[in-house]
Amino acid sequence: MLKEKLDEILEQIWILKEKGKISLINLEQINEGKVILENLKELRNLKLIETGGEHLTLTETGRKKAEEIIRRHRLAERLLADLFELDTEEYEATSCQFEHILSENVTERICSFLGHPPLCPHGKHIPRGECCHKLSKKIEPLITPLGDLEPGYEGKIHFISTHHHGRLEKLSSLGISPGKIVKLIQARPAFVIKVEETEIALDKSIISEIYVKPQEE
Amino acid sequence: MNIKENKIVLVGNPNVGKSVIFGLLTGKYVTVSNYPGTTVEVTKGYAVLENKKCIIFDSPGINSFIPQSEDEKVTRDILLNQKIDKIIQVADAKNITRTLLIALQLAEIGLPFVLDLNMIDEAREKRINIDEKELSKKLGIPIVSTIATQNQGIAELKETLKNLKRPDYHIKYDSLIEEALLRVEKFLPESQINKRALSLMLLAGDLSLKSWLKENLSQEKLKFLEEVQEDLAEKYIEPLAYIINEQRLKETENLIKSCVKTEKIILKNWVYYLGRISMDRFWGIPILIIVLFLMYKFVGEFAAGAGVNFVENTVFGKYLNPWAIKIVNFLIPIPLIKELFVGEYGIFTMAITYALAIVMPIVTAFFLFFGILEDSGYLPRLAIMANRFCKIMGLNGKAVLPLVLGLGCDTMATITARILETKKEKIIVTLLLALGIPCSAQLGVILAMLAKLSFSATLLWVGIVLAVILLVGYLASKVLPGKGGDFILEIPPLRIPKLSNILIKTLARLEWYLKEAVPLFILGTLLLFVLDKIKMLKVIEKMASPLVVGFLGLPSRASESFIIGFLRRDYGAAGLYALADKGLMNHTQIVVSLVTITLFVPCIAQFFVSIKERGLKTALLISFVTFFLAFLIGGLVNFILHYLGIIL
Repeated sequence: MLKEKLDEILEQIWILKEKGKISLINLEQINEGKVILENLKELRNLKLIETGGEHLTLTETGRKKAEEIIRRHRLAERLLADLFELDTEEYEATSCQFEHILSENVTERICSFLGHPPLCPHGKHIPRGECCHKLSKKIEPLITPLGDLEPGYEGKIHFISTHHHGRLEKLSSLGISPGKIVKLIQARPAFVIKVEETEIALDKSIISEIYVKPQEE
Repeated sequence: MNIKENKIVLVGNPNVGKSVIFGLLTGKYVTVSNYPGTTVEVTKGYAVLENKKCIIFDSPGINSFIPQSEDEKVTRDILLNQKIDKIIQVADAKNITRTLLIALQLAEIGLPFVLDLNMIDEAREKRINIDEKELSKKLGIPIVSTIATQNQGIAELKETLKNLKRPDYHIKYDSLIEEALLRVEKFLPESQINKRALSLMLLAGDLSLKSWLKENLSQEKLKFLEEVQEDLAEKYIEPLAYIINEQRLKETENLIKSCVKTEKIILKNWVYYLGRISMDRFWGIPILIIVLFLMYKFVGEFAAGAGVNFVENTVFGKYLNPWAIKIVNFLIPIPLIKELFVGEYGIFTMAITYALAIVMPIVTAFFLFFGILEDSGYLPRLAIMANRFCKIMGLNGKAVLPLVLGLGCDTMATITARILETKKEKIIVTLLLALGIPCSAQLGVILAMLAKLSFSATLLWVGIVLAVILLVGYLASKVLPGKGGDFILEIPPLRIPKLSNILIKTLARLEWYLKEAVPLFILGTLLLFVLDKIKMLKVIEKMASPLVVGFLGLPSRASESFIIGFLRRDYGAAGLYALADKGLMNHTQIVVSLVTITLFVPCIAQFFVSIKERGLKTALLISFVTFFLAFLIGGLVNFILHYLGIIL
């Protein structure tokens, strides 16, 4: 439990830093005045933070550790929001648990699977991991919503994630289903895609549920 | 003599040419166009094959035997309820996956069938080579290839129909599904459709089967089936219909791997580029404007102007009407009967003249122009351009098809609303068709009158009508419960229309127009004649005077047009045309009267179809709303034009 509490506080400090509001008072405010002195002492002993009066900073090790927590948290949010389409409340709560348990390897897999997303569902930055840096020459995501392709490009459908009744069946009866290669013909005024020799116009809300792996030209 | 007639049904994906083949087999023309959803009803025709009379059915296109819209249900139901002997699957040879998806389901259904790879020329052009022999061997069914529009391969198709066998091809689904199938099959009643296929539809959760099952199964059995279905559904994350379809898709992939070779070439000619830019966000708009402008020029100015002028003034005015008057004068001595034929409200001088001299040239031009649009494949592209516009009214681009078809005939278009998915969309489209979409005849007459005023008057009329449609659609979408459907629409390739099909189509539509409109025109004229003779017409005009003269600011004789407008709006418009022609209305009055008659109640035929499709209550409500709005908006336009002192 203590470890989790410490993780949480590191995370809070990191977010304060992200907002440029890093100070002891602000940290205490977040925790509603509850005593966190014990924890801070512990963190200082672990050489993760430095304090002095009002002053509060993360050490290099602390920053790294905090960043990893944030990264796990925000990647988990992406995963739960995009793939499993959980409600905001639900995915936020679950992500808070995920951040403590995901191993480094699992985190990398998730990151790659999602195509090294730069932002969390709230639009905040997801700290980059090693897997992202390896790909930094070519940050093209592995999997992306079909609607995000440039018109004229093709992608192979990996999954269709929808909770709209009947949509999945409708798409699959048109031959739009995992494994098929689709080409994005145009994006406006409506999306038009091509599967085999069939061209189909559809709404953005539908096309953004079709995830593809971009194909090399 | 064999008493039992063979029943053959044409089945296949949308827009693959079923109706063309139907026409070739039966000699009966059904509308053929280049967009999915042209056929929404089953058409019956007859053919003689192997010296035997056969009944042939043309059916709406489907993508799956689990119906997702009403028109698809029509096709599934015909297989379920009619004693079908043979099936011809018509397919677009270019789209082999979707073709095989249907073929696999037909194989499951188990009725003898032949696969017709139509448009084989287009597939060859795209270097899609299908090993027909191999595929035929694998599926265990005969395969023929045709180019229906050129009548190629039809003889072979007929020949193949002679000895069709029941297909024997089964997909093995995963063990959970197979297990459930075994449990379900035992309980199903005998039907046209193989039990295995029926069980699959059931497991896929086909709600549209419910009513059929209720008729054929006991309560307990039904409950048991539902339990099996729910049990199975729980074991998968995704809907069962999808899971089953995925396994079929896998099967098609295997078949394609061994039977189809595709060289990747992209064929691009000017038609291809025109098709692309006509749905482009920049170029699409000027192209739309050009199309509308050409229509205005051809229908409004040329046909309605020069055409009507010639037929009405020269053919009818100089020759036919004077002759008719002479003949009647010569033959009939009684003045009352004489007047019935050639008087002010005479069957010949009013009904026939309006129908043939004013409306006919205009609808001919319109049908020709519209035929070109339909056959080129422009309409689905228009749907893309108008998608956003439709969203305001709780609809999506798909609704453009029935709405634009309404410009041809609102009655037919009301039936076409079947291609929409949700009840809400169908009601909104039925309402808008009744309210603001003038049919070809009415539109033509209106354009003819407007062309004589000014282009700005035309724009004003278009603007007012569009604004009313948009506003009413918006309000309806807010008031009506439910939600809109998904915008998923197939876009067929742009094709160069074939003159012969356009001519045949136009003739068929003209024939239909004459059959439907002329009797009603005569009925309306009789009504006016009687009302006039018993002096009721003046009374009615007086009664309507506060509304027509006071509120709309029109001459009191315009009431006549509104009376006959109850029968057909185009007839009402023709009445207004005659009034304007005689110089009895000024420009403002013309615009006001046109706005009112455009928004006026749906014609009788449309009213009955609305009842059939949407129910009596909805149809009555729609008529009431349109009647009310027509006069309200007409009065407002009158008031605003006068208030602002705008002279048109």
